[in-house]
Amino acid sequence: MLKRSLGEKIFNIFNLLGMFLFTLIIVIPVLFVFRNSFELSETATATLRLWPEDFSLVFYGMVIKDETVYRPLMNSVFVTVVGTPLTLLINALGAYTMSKRELPGKDFFAYYMVIIPMLIGGGTIPGFLLMRALGLIDSLWALIIPSLASGWNMTLLRNYYWSIPNELTESARIDGASEMTIFAKIILPLSKPVLSALGLLSGLGFWNIFYAAMIYIRTPSKWTFPVKIRETVMKNEGNDKLWEEMMVAAGFDPSELLINQSGLGGAMMVVSMLPVLIVYPFLQKYFAGGIMVGSVKG
Amino acid sequence: MRIYKKNEKKIFTKVNIMIYLMIVPGLILYYIFRYVTMPGIMIAFQEFTTGGFKYWCGFENFDKLFGLRAFWQAFRNTWVFIGLEYLLIRPAPIILALLLNEVRIMWFKKTVQTVSTLPSFLTWVVVSGIFIQLLSPSTGYVNVIIALLGGERIYFLGKPQLFPWLLTGMRIWKGVGYSSIIYLASLGGVDPELYEAAVIDGASRWQQTMYITLPGIKNTIVVLLIFSFSGIMGGLFEPVFTLTDGNSLLDETAMVLDVYIYNTGIRQGKFSMSTTTGLFNSIISTVLMLSANWASKYLTEDGRTII
Repeated sequence: MLKRSLGEKIFNIFNLLGMFLFTLIIVIPVLFVFRNSFELSETATATLRLWPEDFSLVFYGMVIKDETVYRPLMNSVFVTVVGTPLTLLINALGAYTMSKRELPGKDFFAYYMVIIPMLIGGGTIPGFLLMRALGLIDSLWALIIPSLASGWNMTLLRNYYWSIPNELTESARIDGASEMTIFAKIILPLSKPVLSALGLLSGLGFWNIFYAAMIYIRTPSKWTFPVKIRETVMKNEGNDKLWEEMMVAAGFDPSELLINQSGLGGAMMVVSMLPVLIVYPFLQKYFAGGIMVGSVKG
Repeated sequence: MRIYKKNEKKIFTKVNIMIYLMIVPGLILYYIFRYVTMPGIMIAFQEFTTGGFKYWCGFENFDKLFGLRAFWQAFRNTWVFIGLEYLLIRPAPIILALLLNEVRIMWFKKTVQTVSTLPSFLTWVVVSGIFIQLLSPSTGYVNVIIALLGGERIYFLGKPQLFPWLLTGMRIWKGVGYSSIIYLASLGGVDPELYEAAVIDGASRWQQTMYITLPGIKNTIVVLLIFSFSGIMGGLFEPVFTLTDGNSLLDETAMVLDVYIYNTGIRQGKFSMSTTTGLFNSIISTVLMLSANWASKYLTEDGRTII
């Protein structure tokens, strides 16, 4: 057994304390928003309590009932549900072409999809003009289509395909299987772990889409959920008149009860965090398995 | 023999077409959304309004841009944020990984890792929203604590001089756990025999960290540092925009080029000025990235480059 010096023991204690404090700093802001989302009364919010005093689900009710909140939520669901499988399909297919080492002209793909776009790009306005020309302004498809193909994701998938033993595909080829069959019957099933990880990450990407929505979407009913969250958190804080109107619409008498203004924003943020919290254990599994480390390394 | 070869070639051509077809959807999408927009850079040299092209004007837009105080303000602030990024945000995950590596209680180490990685998957809108509520003068936690201690409540997000520090803190809060994953993985790759030898030679934990651990992950640090230059001018739109909401009180320290491009282009419809700023921005990034790419040949052990 190694002997530990006094200095090391002291360091260990302080290190553990420090890490504990660090964890609290990460967790408490999130718990604080959870509390806000369940707290009805304004007067109860100015404490350090992490659980609600005046528990209420009224703000979650507003998320579902208020059309201006519900529509953006559904728009984000649509973008995510449609965008994610399409992303996987297009990138998984393209990666198969890139994985063929003996293919004539295969270097072209890396230049075309990774290197040149990294060096030159049109920028915000040319992108906006293109969308206008395509008639996609104010359309949810403007948020989906441009980000479907990704040279980086194809490279990541290609690296994974390379780790699949050649013997598996060779024997199928000798049996007369077409490339499409090999791809669908051998490569895709064997790539499940990396496809799941990529699917979760690109799904979160679609769910969290913000910048593109700020550029291409003008009508509030076409907003994505993050855009609406930002508007609610920003505008409701301190805008008493707007808040009163909303509360009256939700069936409360603002003169009787001082209602927690950060509640609706809080509830919306919690709703936005839920999918992340749900898929998080799976993501953890893939990170622990080192699958996505390659993507970080580039 | 010859006939056999001919046949073989034919088979491969047939297969090839199918393989090539599989990447075609990706190629088309890239062509439309990356290549068709590339000539759009020329708008920087044109008088181009919301109505469309007016006339060529050479470098007039650049002259106009460089004469604007707001542009230089955004330029300066962008570099302040980049400076803070390399001074504080990028070293933070290395320090976290080193400290976590010293934790011997496995379940505790795992919990810290799991919890700290979570915020990186939240959108900036939610992260900003969380901190707007947390720092709120009336009900936010921080101000409740200040009030309990008898201090004066502070409107944190209304003070320009605090903004760069708050944003830096939030960027660390969001990203430190995720970024530390790769350093922890790299720490796991350091040969344990080195530590055993060092302990026999009487090296303290601090000496082990300085002479074994840090050199062991040096290559990872250098590679990630070099790779980071490719996105150096970007990534500030979402954090800044979601925190400030065009609050011009904060422009003094918060306006960055990314937001400036959005405001002039999308909000005000000054297409030429926005594209000019964007071009200026990407010229700087490209030069920085190519230099980093050149340097990485000499700085990394395996002579790895970005391109």
